[in-house]
Amino acid sequence: MRTKRGIAMTLMLGLTVSLSVISASADEKKTFVFGDTTFNAENEEADVNPQNTYAGWACIRYGIGETLFKYSDDMEIEPWIAKEFENVDELTWKITLNDGVVFSNGRVCDGEAVKESLESLVANHERAAGDLCIDSIEADGNTVTIKTTEPKPALINYLCDPYGCIIDAEAGITDNGIVIGTGPYVATDLVADDHLDLVKNENYWNGNVNIDEITVRTISDGDTLAFALQAGEVNAAYGMAYASYPLFENDDFTFTSTPTSRAFYAWMNFESPVTSDPAVREAIAMGIDKESFVSVLLNGYGYPAEGAFPDTFSFGGQNLTTESYNPEGAKQVLEEAGWVDSDGDGIREKDGQDLVIRWLTYPSRQELPLLAESAQATLKEIGMDVQVNCTSDNNTIRKDPTLWDVYASAMVTAPTGDPQYFFTSCALDSSVSNNGHYHSDKLEELAAQIEKEFDTEKRSELGIQMQQTVLDDHAYVFCSHLKMSMIMQSNVTGLVAHPCDYYELTADLDIN
Amino acid sequence: MKKRNTTNIPLGGLEKKVNFVNITTENNQKVRNQMNHYILKRMLQLIPILFAITFLSYGMMRIAGSDVVTQKMENTGTVVSEDVMDAAREQLGLDKPFLTQYFVWLGKLLRGDMGNSYVSGKPVFITFISKLPATLLLTIVSIVLTLIISIPLGVLAAVKQNTIIDYLIRFCSFIGNSLPNFFVSLILMYFLAIKMRWFPVIAKDVSLQSVAMPAITLAIAMSAKYLRQVRATVLDELNKDYVAGAKARGVKFSVTLWKSIMKASLVTIITLLMLSVGSLLGGTAIVESIFMWDGVGKMAVDAISMRDYPIIQAYVMWMAIIYVVVNLITDVSYRFLDPRIRLGREEA
Amino acid sequence: MENEKNKVTVRVQKIKKNYIKQKLIFFLILAAALIFAAVFSDKLCPYDPYAQDLSSAMQAPSVLHPCGTDTYGRDMLSRVISGARASIFSTFILVAVISVFGTAVGVFCGYYGGILDSLMMRVSDICLAFPGLVFAMAIAAVLGGGIQNAVIALAAISWPKYSRIARGQTLALKNAPYIHAAILAGDTSGQIIWRHVLPNMLGPVLVTAMLDIGTMMMELAGLSFLGLGAQIPMAEWGSMMSTGRSMLQTYPWVVLSPGIAIFISVVIFNLLGDTVRDYLDPKNNRSARR
Repeated sequence: MRTKRGIAMTLMLGLTVSLSVISASADEKKTFVFGDTTFNAENEEADVNPQNTYAGWACIRYGIGETLFKYSDDMEIEPWIAKEFENVDELTWKITLNDGVVFSNGRVCDGEAVKESLESLVANHERAAGDLCIDSIEADGNTVTIKTTEPKPALINYLCDPYGCIIDAEAGITDNGIVIGTGPYVATDLVADDHLDLVKNENYWNGNVNIDEITVRTISDGDTLAFALQAGEVNAAYGMAYASYPLFENDDFTFTSTPTSRAFYAWMNFESPVTSDPAVREAIAMGIDKESFVSVLLNGYGYPAEGAFPDTFSFGGQNLTTESYNPEGAKQVLEEAGWVDSDGDGIREKDGQDLVIRWLTYPSRQELPLLAESAQATLKEIGMDVQVNCTSDNNTIRKDPTLWDVYASAMVTAPTGDPQYFFTSCALDSSVSNNGHYHSDKLEELAAQIEKEFDTEKRSELGIQMQQTVLDDHAYVFCSHLKMSMIMQSNVTGLVAHPCDYYELTADLDIN
Repeated sequence: MKKRNTTNIPLGGLEKKVNFVNITTENNQKVRNQMNHYILKRMLQLIPILFAITFLSYGMMRIAGSDVVTQKMENTGTVVSEDVMDAAREQLGLDKPFLTQYFVWLGKLLRGDMGNSYVSGKPVFITFISKLPATLLLTIVSIVLTLIISIPLGVLAAVKQNTIIDYLIRFCSFIGNSLPNFFVSLILMYFLAIKMRWFPVIAKDVSLQSVAMPAITLAIAMSAKYLRQVRATVLDELNKDYVAGAKARGVKFSVTLWKSIMKASLVTIITLLMLSVGSLLGGTAIVESIFMWDGVGKMAVDAISMRDYPIIQAYVMWMAIIYVVVNLITDVSYRFLDPRIRLGREEA
Repeated sequence: MENEKNKVTVRVQKIKKNYIKQKLIFFLILAAALIFAAVFSDKLCPYDPYAQDLSSAMQAPSVLHPCGTDTYGRDMLSRVISGARASIFSTFILVAVISVFGTAVGVFCGYYGGILDSLMMRVSDICLAFPGLVFAMAIAAVLGGGIQNAVIALAAISWPKYSRIARGQTLALKNAPYIHAAILAGDTSGQIIWRHVLPNMLGPVLVTAMLDIGTMMMELAGLSFLGLGAQIPMAEWGSMMSTGRSMLQTYPWVVLSPGIAIFISVVIFNLLGDTVRDYLDPKNNRSARR
């Protein structure tokens, strides 16, 4: 008995002592902790190897790797590792690299290194291989010549994708997915879904790096992230829940926000007896209160959308015309099309069929359930009965057009800064995810044109026409664009949200 | 298993003290044989249960609708062609019939290969083993904390039955018992980490300081349940005649309490504690993912949202096995500690 | 002297018995009130619990909205009242199903014994082999979200507890002399089970069921937190708390209203269960028997 009590006492004592010891590190190193909700395997960012699914996002975001070219704040192509490119003919691209670019291990990043990196990329990454269609790569000193198998007007844009991070292929990839890049920080330790340790790249080729050590913490729960930022355990946070924003709207914290091309939008099912009716689609477009959704439910951290792309793009929503929130107009449209509420239950019907909308969506993006609940209420006012099915099984369900009428999703519509991607991925006859079987002759014709068009301005013009076509058919209702926000302690500088969401931790980052 | 819920163990009593150290050698030998026999029997019974556990954990995961290939596509928000997806399915062996997949899986399992995670591509068993120590540490610290909180309070409530102290303790136990785990976590985080700044919100590493918040959360929930059981057990013992007898003979109450009552209640208390390990194992999942504690529970929650079947299977299966083994140990030690059961068996 | 003491004891025990009876009635009334609120939630709600008004979102508690409003401008009081239906009913259905099914299996197995008995007991062994929430998580992960699936998942793991209690009791009763007498008197097995076995079972099963209501409410809330419980826009306490948890610091009423509702109902059912146990406890009936 006595020994047992003794053991218990010792345990208790030991616990108290070890709990009260607070790790005191009093060196002058500048350290920075970044809390991120998306750096995890669920978002296919299990490590920082750009050639592994979407992990390139982590590689580029946390300043480990850099791409040949980058996007400016207006989503225009800018030099980065490379200083210029020349489109020799439809199939040949000549890229000239900057002098003096070195990997963090000291190796010079020359044409040969870029060739190795890209060759390894297309060998290991199916999506990249499909995008780039590389036939051959030749390196000569600081120039790289890429030949493609077919005309690829958007090749340079694709090379800006995070998978295009140039890594030292010779140094290889560690078991836990760490690569050697040319960026301001070097990854030292990585545990998927938990943390990533970074140190300053002493060999950085492009300016001074201010921060000595960075830890990127994966914090999947939004509330925990809020608490951690409040307690000062992280210096900056990405992916905070909207409801927590008011906690940080004070002098101790600063926000950085920018519109991105991630759009929250509803796809109409053209096979469905309900949404195949143009009047119903038009009424849905008029019956969603985008302004209130953004200002109230997203706390103002979003932008009501007109079309697929935000206004920061030259082919953005400012060029388009579409319906705004107009419940009375929507009622009239339905009325004229023969949808009337004859039995007084608040739901319209036509030929004995109730106006029931099966709204399919998924929970992994916090905005989508909010959109569903809000649309449910506003559409009820115009006489539609919206039945929300919010499930992670959405991608199986949406393949069967008999199971849904409207599918609300959150997609990055212009990951390459170019309008073509969105349409080829979901709006054409040949698109894999055109699950609502939308078809427009006009859109097909415009798509054929953009496929062959090399002139950026003309591509923009075509992008605008294509969006307008889709909007006129009410095939999609674009509700809002994500305003990507990061919240940081007010002494943090140089952390700026970028419209393409690729660049977060850069050499500019500092703590004062 | 039936005997598990027996609560009154007449071990105490000053006059009829049973000292099982003094049992004769031959008797001891007999008992040991019997124990060995019992343990062997229980081990054999374990085999069909383990078999069923593997089948169930495999079967359940495979009848789910969506598979990892479609799941992967959804999370990225971009589009992959049907051919690429079919190729991926073939590569993962998802196109073969169910039973074939099960036996392939079981065969590999017996060779210590639990397959690779759909998501990370790493061996499941290694992943699981690497995360297990964190969960075990959390579990052990929570159990220790639970004991520290609930035994003194439970005894106090029983001794001071129907006084303000008793009511207060019981009221607190009700509160702890009536709020969901995740909510208690948030409240604790708010007060202990934000207001008082005693503990870090997020676990930095597997250390005692980092384990504090999740362990306290779990311990509070568990103590709330457990405290009532301790109170009831001690009350049971307090109402026995020998307590009154000791009092009549002028034995100090504190002596009776610690020498007899506690000793008599201890076996029950320990047994009940072992049995609550099951709910603790489940509870760790929620708490681990809130506090970013990198253990198997968090791994399972992450895996569920990603439909990472091999990981979920491994988690469900191993948790079940751990639980079954803990139960077995409890049953055996229960028999070993309780002379009535031990000696009773012998007579039968 | 001895006699005098006995009289006092009897009186004390009578008072105790009366006290328990009063307590029982008190808690029964409270429980009935909760059930009443759940049944007539439609009539009791001051507002439509699903009607949104974004212009009045996030209002603090006031005379108009005693519990404030949520992100969508819905009245929290109405949602809490309406949530009583989902939460209390699903818990009731769950507990009713597992207690009836579990008891039936237990009595059947205990009474008839044989292969079926050992088979069923092995099945329940297996169910008991999984730690509760872990198994429920796995089932809910397979079936997908939704309150029905969460209920199914919890039911699958909870019934063996009842069949164990019932089986143990049946085994003990089976050899009781009055059962033998009943058999001799020509009662059929059905009659014996119905008249003699089941009534003896009622007490322990009832007490377990009462105490389970609280536990199950918690576990449903836990599943909701993991996204495996009730889906939007359903007003259910667990999911209301879990979706509102990010507002703990900014708009606390959104999470505290359902939290308090859960707390109160769990406390009521737990106390009711405790009181029922005290009431049925033979120790408190000793006076009557002596």
